[in-house]
Formats: sequence, structure tokens, C-alpha cells
Amino acid sequence: MFDQDLIQKWLEEGTITHAQAEKMRADIEEYKTEHRSKKQIIAFSTIGAILIGIGAILFVASNWEKIGDTVKILLLAGSTLSIHYTGYHLKYENQKYPRLGSALLFLSALFFGASLFLIAQIYNSNANNSTLVLIWLFGVSPLIYGYRSIAVAGLCSLLFYIWVGLLYSERNSFGELINFLDLYLISGIALYFAGTLHELSAKAKYAAPIFKFMGLQAVLLALFMYTFGLWESKNEEIVPVIYAFLGILFLVVLLSKSLRSKLAGFQTDTSMAVISFLMAGFTLIAANTQVSEEACAGFFNLVFLGLLVLLLYAGYSTEDIGIVNTAMFWFVPLIIARYFDFFWDLLPRSFFFMIGGLILLTLSVVLERKRRELKAQFAGAGQ
Amino acid sequence: MNQKKILYLTIVFWLLIFSGFIAYKEYTLRTGTEVLLKTLPVDPKDLFRGDYVTLNYEISNLNMEKLPSEESYFYNDEPVYLALELKNGYGVPKKIYTTPPEDGLYIKGKVKDILYDWETDESGVTTEETIKELRVDYGIESYFVPEGKGMEIEKAQRTGKTEVDAKIIIDKYGNTVIKSLLIDGKETEF
Repeated sequence: MFDQDLIQKWLEEGTITHAQAEKMRADIEEYKTEHRSKKQIIAFSTIGAILIGIGAILFVASNWEKIGDTVKILLLAGSTLSIHYTGYHLKYENQKYPRLGSALLFLSALFFGASLFLIAQIYNSNANNSTLVLIWLFGVSPLIYGYRSIAVAGLCSLLFYIWVGLLYSERNSFGELINFLDLYLISGIALYFAGTLHELSAKAKYAAPIFKFMGLQAVLLALFMYTFGLWESKNEEIVPVIYAFLGILFLVVLLSKSLRSKLAGFQTDTSMAVISFLMAGFTLIAANTQVSEEACAGFFNLVFLGLLVLLLYAGYSTEDIGIVNTAMFWFVPLIIARYFDFFWDLLPRSFFFMIGGLILLTLSVVLERKRRELKAQFAGAGQ
Repeated sequence: MNQKKILYLTIVFWLLIFSGFIAYKEYTLRTGTEVLLKTLPVDPKDLFRGDYVTLNYEISNLNMEKLPSEESYFYNDEPVYLALELKNGYGVPKKIYTTPPEDGLYIKGKVKDILYDWETDESGVTTEETIKELRVDYGIESYFVPEGKGMEIEKAQRTGKTEVDAKIIIDKYGNTVIKSLLIDGKETEF
């Protein structure tokens, strides 16, 4: 894509004629409109698929009575396979509705889960069973690679988190080993690393952003929760070892020049490595010495703030507006939380809310203005 | 690999998962032994959650002082095998094993919680820690019912006037499937 400024420069230099410049400008406009329209179609068809999927799952969950078990299974499994085939047909055979086809393939992944839960329900398998979620994840993950489905990659990331949570609630021994938030922090870093691995492969690169995005959100959420001083020491050496292992995995990729060159934004990957090693050090210290709640909260506030700054820097360096948006988005809850922590008891209630409101409004204006500037800057540079 | 192959492989893979799950449960249902288990009322807040009833069995809490056991110490999430003997169709606990018994009827479970008993000396220092009770899950703690139907089971259990039993099928590997509920001896299938 060419930048408008670049077209103007070529025009002034005489590299292109007025007619060519006009043609370029018209084509750019047309491309942008087409691109917006494609995005809308993808958004609508995916939302539609999600709504139908949720409806199907709720329909199953409501235990409709008048149909026999066998018919129920045939109905749902049949629907799953029919939707899957229709999606395939529209995307690869008919080829006129590739986006609708992709949405239907995604819908079939949701229906697969609904069918699985229906069968489990018929046999009275325990509710909130982590194994079922794992089978769902295992069953639909090939679609990520077979049909290059980013939506299914997102679904798998979500299922992975659900599975981790259910497994933790099922097994009391996990509670003795690791904090719930640590588990999500580790899961988030691991999922982010899975995204990094996908980025190293030319064939699987398309799935990297969604894995990285989902991983990063879990990391930020877990760290944000820790800023409230929710840390609880488990005196187990396994947790620092896992963090260190994840950090080493990142280092292996980042220190190899040939691998690092394949990464679009290695700065963000570096921040994940930093978090892994910081957490390894902190959990090791906390397992062997008494760390006060205030010290924990202080440490995590610093780490969270540091990570946001690192992400802003990474987003700016790589001109990735997604990372910039993520960092700016997480700044807001951090500021709100700390404002409540520090000023709730110090200010009269009316002043507290008025000042808080003013701060937030100012902050939102500043952040939005900065975000737009960066977006315009990135778009210009990327063209 | 072309897309057509991917489509066929996906369909076969999904059908294998569905049929594998069904076959696993059907094997238990068709080859297993029918056993009745007495249920106990649970906390009503926990009992009915939308469309399934949470079942608590008499064998969910195993008294280690009264029941013989292969081991005296257990850990959370450890698999256990409870040997049962049939008395009037009801499964009565016989012995706790940590490995599957070589013969006889047994049910596979997992230690969910442990109640300890401590012996202390005169100065209050713990001298011995023994396990008093095991809380075991057998994978048959949820019984799915049509929406709203759970209330009658809940009422039946809470009043204490009604006996609620579960008809369970146990295969030779200790795997279980709930077949139906019996309210005052009357089979109730939904």
C-alpha cells in the first residue's frame, strides 16, 4: 500500500503523472472500502455463528424431554457434521462465500462441544468435568491448521483456560502446589509462547496473533489481580522451576538470531521472558522467606506497570497498534484501582468521586488522542 | 494434504470421539453389575444447580476407623478402589484399596478431601496424625434432570421422610454410570 504523502512526493518528483496519481488514490480508497466491508462480513458471520452455537448449547442444557436419547445424539451430531460440511463446501468448493464458510466451520466447532456435552449429560457424567473440555479442545484443534481458522484458535485458547480452571477446582492437590492466579499466569505465558512458536513457522504464522493476544490478556489479568496483594506463598519449588523453564524457552528463541529474525515483534516476546524470570525469582524468594502482603503488592504493582511500559515501547517499536491498545486498556483499571486504594479514606466522598471522574475523563482523552496519533503514524509508515 | 482429505479426516475424527465416548459408557452399562447406592441429603444450596442434582452417597464419606483399608495414609486426588458387597441389591463398603482388587465388585474413586485426627502429648505437641475420614468422588455425583424437576428430588431428600437411592452400573474395571434414581423404591427416569 502506498501512503498519500508518498504519492504526492512521486507526483512532485515527476515519477508519476497526475492521471496515475489519481488512479492510485482511487484504488487506495476502493481497497480501504473493500477491506472494511470484508472485516464487517467476518465480524457479523462470526458473531452469528457464536450466537447460534450458544443457542444450541443452551438448548441441549435445557434437557428437552420428548426426544429419545438416540435421536438427540443423532440430531446434534448430524447437525454438527452437516454444518461442518456446509462450511467446507462454501469455503472450498463453491468458493463464493468463503467468509460465511469459515463462520460455519467455526460454528461446527461449537456444535461439536455441544454434542459432546449432550452425550455426557445422557450418561450423567459429572458436571463441570475438565476432561470433557479437554476432549472438546483436542477435537477441534486440528481445524486451526486444517482450515487455517483463527476463530477456532481463539476458541481453543478459551477452552484451554476453562480446562485449566476446572482442573484446578477438581484437584485439591493443585491448590497445595500453586496459586490459582499463578496457574493462569503460567498458562498465559505458555499460550503466548505457543503463539511465538507458530510465528516461527511460515505455514502456521496466521494463528500466532490470536494465541499471543489471548496469552497476553491472561498474563495481564493475573498480574493485575496480584497488584491487590492477593499473593499467597505455597513453599513449593516447582512453581519457580516452571517459570524459569518458560523464561529459558523464550531465551532460546530470542538469543538465536535466525529464530529472532522470524518474529515480527520480538520486544513483546522479550517482555514475556522478563516476566517469567521475575516471577521465577519472586516465587523462589517467597517460598523460602516471609514476604509481607505490602511488599508483594508493591512488587506486583511495579511489575505490572513495568510490563505496560514495556508493551507500549514494544508496540511503538513494532508499530503494532494492537499491543499499544492492550497496554493503554490495562492502564485504566490500574489507575482506578490504585486511586481507590490511596484516596478512599483520605478524601470526602464527594471530592473523591469528582476528582476521580475528572482524572478518568482527562486520562481517556489523553490516551485516545495518543492512540489515534500512533495509529495514524503506523498506518502512514506501513503504507 | 488437500482440503477434501482434511474434511473426511475431521468427520472421521469427530465420529470416533463421539462413538468412543458412547462405547466407553455403553460398555459399563451393558457388562456391569447393577448396584443400589443410598444417597444422603446434601446442602440444599449445593443440591440443585439448574439442570442437575448433586448426589452425595453414603459411600462418599469413608470412615477409616470402621472400614478396613490396604493403606493407612492417603493423599488428595489419589485414586482409590472401594470393594463392595451386595446386600439386598445395595452396595455396602467392604475394604479400601489403592490398587484395583484382583476379584470381586469394586468401584473406582478419587480422594477429594481428608479429615485428620491428631494425638497430642501433654505439652500440646502433635505426636501422631491419623486419617479419620476420606471424602471420595466416584464420578457419579451429577444426575441430570429436566429443568424444574430437580426441585422434587431436593424436597424428597430434605424432608428426610423419603429415601432416595441411585441405581448404578459398575463394570469390572470399577467404572460407573448412573442408570436411574429411586425415590422411595420407585424408579424415576427422566
